[in-house]
Amino acid sequence: MRHHIENKIYHVEILPPKQETEKLEVDLEAFAVKFRRVMESGYCACVTDNAMGNLAFQGTEMIEELGLEPREDLVMIHLNTFHTKEALDEILETCVAKGIRNLLVISGDGSDRLPRLQPLDIGAKGVEAVTSVELLRYIAERHPGFFHLGVAFNPYEPEEHEFGKMERKIAAGAEFIITQPVIGLHPVVERLLAKYPQVPVIVEAWMSKKLDLLSEAVGYEISPGTPYDPIENLKSLHSIYPHCGVYLSLLGFKTQYDLVKDCWK
Amino acid sequence: MLANTEALRAEYKNVWVVAEVLGGEVQKVTWELLGAARSLADARGCELWCVAMGDGVAKEALSIRGYGADVALVVDDRRLARFDDEAEAAALVRLIGKYKPEILVCAATTRGRALIPRVAVAANCGLTADCTGLAIDPTNGDLLQTRPAFGGNIMATIRSANHRPQMSTVRPRVMNALEFDPEREGRVIVESLLEGESGSLKTVIEVFHEEENAVNLSDARFIVAGGRGVKGPEGFKLLKKFADAVGGAVGASRAAVDSGWVPYSRQVGQTGQTVQATVYVACGISGQIQHLVGMQSCDYIVAIDKDPNTPMMRIADAAVVGDLYEIIPALLKELART
Amino acid sequence: MRIVVCVKQVPGSSEAKIDPETKRIVREGVKAVMNPFDAYALEEAVRIKERLGGEVIALTMGPPRADIALREAISVGADSGILLSDRAFGGSDTWATSYALSKAVRKIGGVDLVICGKQAIDGDTAQVGPGMAAHLGWAQATYVMAIPEVGEKEFLAKRMHEDGWDLCRIRFPAVLTVVKDINRPRVPTLKGRLAAQKVEIPTWTAQDVGAEADKIGLEGSPTRVVKAEPPAARNKATL
Repeated sequence: MRHHIENKIYHVEILPPKQETEKLEVDLEAFAVKFRRVMESGYCACVTDNAMGNLAFQGTEMIEELGLEPREDLVMIHLNTFHTKEALDEILETCVAKGIRNLLVISGDGSDRLPRLQPLDIGAKGVEAVTSVELLRYIAERHPGFFHLGVAFNPYEPEEHEFGKMERKIAAGAEFIITQPVIGLHPVVERLLAKYPQVPVIVEAWMSKKLDLLSEAVGYEISPGTPYDPIENLKSLHSIYPHCGVYLSLLGFKTQYDLVKDCWK
Repeated sequence: MLANTEALRAEYKNVWVVAEVLGGEVQKVTWELLGAARSLADARGCELWCVAMGDGVAKEALSIRGYGADVALVVDDRRLARFDDEAEAAALVRLIGKYKPEILVCAATTRGRALIPRVAVAANCGLTADCTGLAIDPTNGDLLQTRPAFGGNIMATIRSANHRPQMSTVRPRVMNALEFDPEREGRVIVESLLEGESGSLKTVIEVFHEEENAVNLSDARFIVAGGRGVKGPEGFKLLKKFADAVGGAVGASRAAVDSGWVPYSRQVGQTGQTVQATVYVACGISGQIQHLVGMQSCDYIVAIDKDPNTPMMRIADAAVVGDLYEIIPALLKELART
Repeated sequence: MRIVVCVKQVPGSSEAKIDPETKRIVREGVKAVMNPFDAYALEEAVRIKERLGGEVIALTMGPPRADIALREAISVGADSGILLSDRAFGGSDTWATSYALSKAVRKIGGVDLVICGKQAIDGDTAQVGPGMAAHLGWAQATYVMAIPEVGEKEFLAKRMHEDGWDLCRIRFPAVLTVVKDINRPRVPTLKGRLAAQKVEIPTWTAQDVGAEADKIGLEGSPTRVVKAEPPAARNKATL
């Protein structure tokens, strides 16, 4: 991950098609096109796992079925706790087989349609429910030394709570951190950087003009009608966080993709 | 049976209620149905019969009479001690063939909804499920059956013009029982189960009956229900305190049950229980159609929510905008004082 | 084991909104989905097949477009699908529907179990399962929450009731309706979805299954809807 930051490699989020889509072929093709473009640009493709609890196809499945070719170190798979043990093991095996080493391990957004890992499934003791911490440990035990495991940090949640969780995540094997979308300088992110100077941190840049969607997603307080220029924000993030990587969410592949390469100087 | 002429239809007479029997005892819902069926029988100028099948059910004849039936038709047999839907259906079809009732109703319980569709097909009759309203069409004497459709957004009225008997299952806790009258006159007809009717296809080998010490949700006059807005099992402890203080029961929306905060037995709604309380306090329940279907016939609905614009807040008789974690404790304080 | 699972395509009711003024359902743009309860029936059938071997056949009665429900079934483990479709079936109530479906089951032949979801969320009648059992003359079990044992000639089924449950020993063949407590349906894999899209799905007409004309469609339906209107409004007060 340090390598990505030093080489100014963007992390570009791509969502797999939803299960309920009525135009599966079209959506599959769109995913493939985005994936190949990110590979060609030398960026890292980050594939989500049932984001927001919406049933979608799995990242590793997409790569396999569509015959996509992950480039060395340029793919990151999100992995949450809403899987059966069998499905989880299969995802990990596929990653190993395809040389995909980067995982973002999160608790995840569930839904009543999704199964949930139980503590017994992964040999977790003394806990009521499986969180990213237990999942990290399981992955590290099952495939020692193979994966680079990242975790999420939410500067909008109560600080003490969030830092407490981060301690446990680092202890369980987390090697890098990705924050929720930040607009400009965020004091909690500053404190995170100060606390973990050795851990690579990637800040998320909200690339959609619709800031209100971000409020809904993370509870970020914003007055309605505030103008927002995602590209300007991206540039300012690079200048405010020069030692951090950047994760681009909701990137407009048609309108914004070509602009971002000039942002990271 | 097909009855597509007036002459054929004239052969069918009387209104039947098929009793809900558990452990040889007729259940309360049967009295509700007798209450509704009594008006139907009076409108038709005919008798009201109650068919009770079970083990030890003969003793219920007095209650059956007292709650409005002119005739108690009992099939009392050890082989009916447990719910054997194939046996009951076979017997009922035979009895329908013998006595030719014009109308047949049964409670829309799990047992009623297992039994009557089987009977309706075998007897070639029309069946309307889960009715909330029954009436006689004054122009032609047909039964008009009203039921909610599309999750309660449409009330559909259904008729079986050319088949007899006309059959309905009726939703529990919607109709009203008559007052029990020990003096009411009536008679008993005893029928039996035939040899081939029982045991060949299915045997019930074990029964588990839930004994709930807490106030039963279905009988409760006052219900405090929690939804997603309660946010966790702790919140339900608070609701329980409130329910206990007013002698009520705790209910829940599906979201709360699915999150594991309360057991399924508390669930109110399309895939849970229908309740008919006097007061229903909905706390942090948005009011999806599937939930409303289960509680909209409560007399007085109070909704507590931070969001004033949810469907529940809109249909409530009293909508309280605020945080239930402030309001409920405040209510509890008030109650403690009085 | 040969298992038939009856599935139905219904409007996605949780997406149906009520217009607060007219109290009517807003039906524009409402997607057709597989009846949610049917997913549980499918999952149980597939699990039995995985345990004991055999095949799972998805069956639906509907318009030509209803093959989508069948492909959904195949994407989660049904081996094949049959679309029962014919203008003559139009206007069928539950009597006629359960008749037509049972004729299809007879034509398939050698069926051990028919599994249905508890009810369809549009009609809400829960009548087709037991109705099929009656047409076929088979055993039935409704509101099944578990199938703990499957033997050669018999199986055990646990039925849910308001006041508890009971456990039945039932002879094959039988018709079951299941409740959501029975399992958690698996989510289709991409592989399953893609394979299901390519599968050939035969269409059977009334004639194909030998359905008698006076037992299907409007003519075969003892019940008729004579009126549909929104329910009465309530009085409100906001604090």
